[in-house]
Amino acid sequence: MGIFLKDINLKGKTALITGATKGLGRGAAIAIAEAGGNVIAIGRNQMELNTLKKEIKKFKVNYVSFNCDVNNYNRIKSFISKLKKLDILVNNAGTNIPEPFLNVKKSSMETLLNVNTKAVFNVAQLCANQIIKLKRKSGSIINISSIFGLVAGQKRTVYSMTKFSVEGLTKGMALDLAKYNIRVNSVCPNIVLTPRTKKYFANKKYNKYVKDNTPINKVVTVSDVATSITFLASEAASMITGTSIVIDGGWTAK
Amino acid sequence: MLKKINLKNKTALVTGAGKGLGKACAIALAEAGAKVIILSRTKSDLIKVSKIIKKTKGSSQLFVCDVTNLDDLKKVLRKISRLDILVNNAGNNRPQHFTKVSQENMEYLTNLNMKAAFHVAQLCSQKMVKAKNRKKIGGSIIHMSSQLGRVGCEGRNVYNMNKFGVEGLSRGMACELAPYNIRVNTICPTFVETPMVKKFFKNKKFKNEMLKNIPLGRVAKESDVATAVAFLAADSSEMITGTSLLVDGGWTAQ
Repeated sequence: MGIFLKDINLKGKTALITGATKGLGRGAAIAIAEAGGNVIAIGRNQMELNTLKKEIKKFKVNYVSFNCDVNNYNRIKSFISKLKKLDILVNNAGTNIPEPFLNVKKSSMETLLNVNTKAVFNVAQLCANQIIKLKRKSGSIINISSIFGLVAGQKRTVYSMTKFSVEGLTKGMALDLAKYNIRVNSVCPNIVLTPRTKKYFANKKYNKYVKDNTPINKVVTVSDVATSITFLASEAASMITGTSIVIDGGWTAK
Repeated sequence: MLKKINLKNKTALVTGAGKGLGKACAIALAEAGAKVIILSRTKSDLIKVSKIIKKTKGSSQLFVCDVTNLDDLKKVLRKISRLDILVNNAGNNRPQHFTKVSQENMEYLTNLNMKAAFHVAQLCSQKMVKAKNRKKIGGSIIHMSSQLGRVGCEGRNVYNMNKFGVEGLSRGMACELAPYNIRVNTICPTFVETPMVKKFFKNKKFKNEMLKNIPLGRVAKESDVATAVAFLAADSSEMITGTSLLVDGGWTAQ
């Protein structure tokens, strides 16, 4: 900590991350550990949760994992309500099934709504209640949104519907939780190269679509997003709430 | 995974660096390792700032300059050989009810907050694009906007007009400078504990009314804003461009 420059430091803080085994969630868990924060990882793949443990332990912080589907409300509730320490939530678990609007299957719509909106709400509510119950001095919740929480994209009607909803939820939560000094923000990345999006990027037409729409001629990396998440999690962002950090190389500026 | 706020080997120019936010930004950038070029109309203020920077083992160069004087500004820019970061901060406010705004105040504020901001940004950009390795090392321009660049407020119509203008300029610049890997963003703070705001807050009724609009229930500190500026200046935000970082305690979320 300098005179005017605050460090991105999470020593003594504990962060819960959903969807922690892959992509952005995994990146956020590692970046948080790098900043000194303890990690509680929720994911659905035990082997990947074990691999993550090895990476997190390198930074000499605590690691707890819980193998659970975020849609399983009762199991998630029972786990979160027993936590002894919690300051930060990275509400990351999410998915996408790109389909043209006219052909969106009822089952895909329901899957996306359940994971991206309902489970995001439930996990956020459970964590906020727990942070308040534990009487923490401050808290930070980061919802993982997307540029498609701000603008539309082809074959992304349902995804946009769910991510716009996360933007609304974020602002509403920020107002309700401000009196507990719990800040709530979202990050809105462009399409990040992750295990899930790798198959999209393999399509030349899609690759061109992303490049043509990104003024800064680079693909957003997991590390770009994880850094913004960690910044928002820390006291370096202590006056930032109810807003979004847009990490899109200029996509939505046009 | 975590990209630190590190400005070693970077040169940053800060306008309005004698007081308030500009001073805080200049010091924070120096603390992050940048060489800082500070501009202000008042030499004694600049000397104080450069002394603080020296104490923190940073380096600075000062120029007495009124940014509304284009010829003076050009002279200063000619003396600078290299520039990686601009904090386009100089600005002011003279609150008046819309029906009572004097021609003189409108001209003064618009010339400073928009015209001079444009000139500073253009001259600095021209300097920045000339660096041969610009594409590789990138550049960052941060405009000091305001929450009032996003929402309206009583008695702030000219300031609103000016800061909304800066928001537009910033997005346009982001699109045009992206090919050079120069990022352009704004910071939108709520009321900050600066000499300018302290003057407004002498009116207790006004202070209480404004605090009621900040969900977190406190005004921002200069360090909150300066840290956000340093984050946008550094490669920690290398895919963030054409957007705004709101440091407003939730003001605009409502």
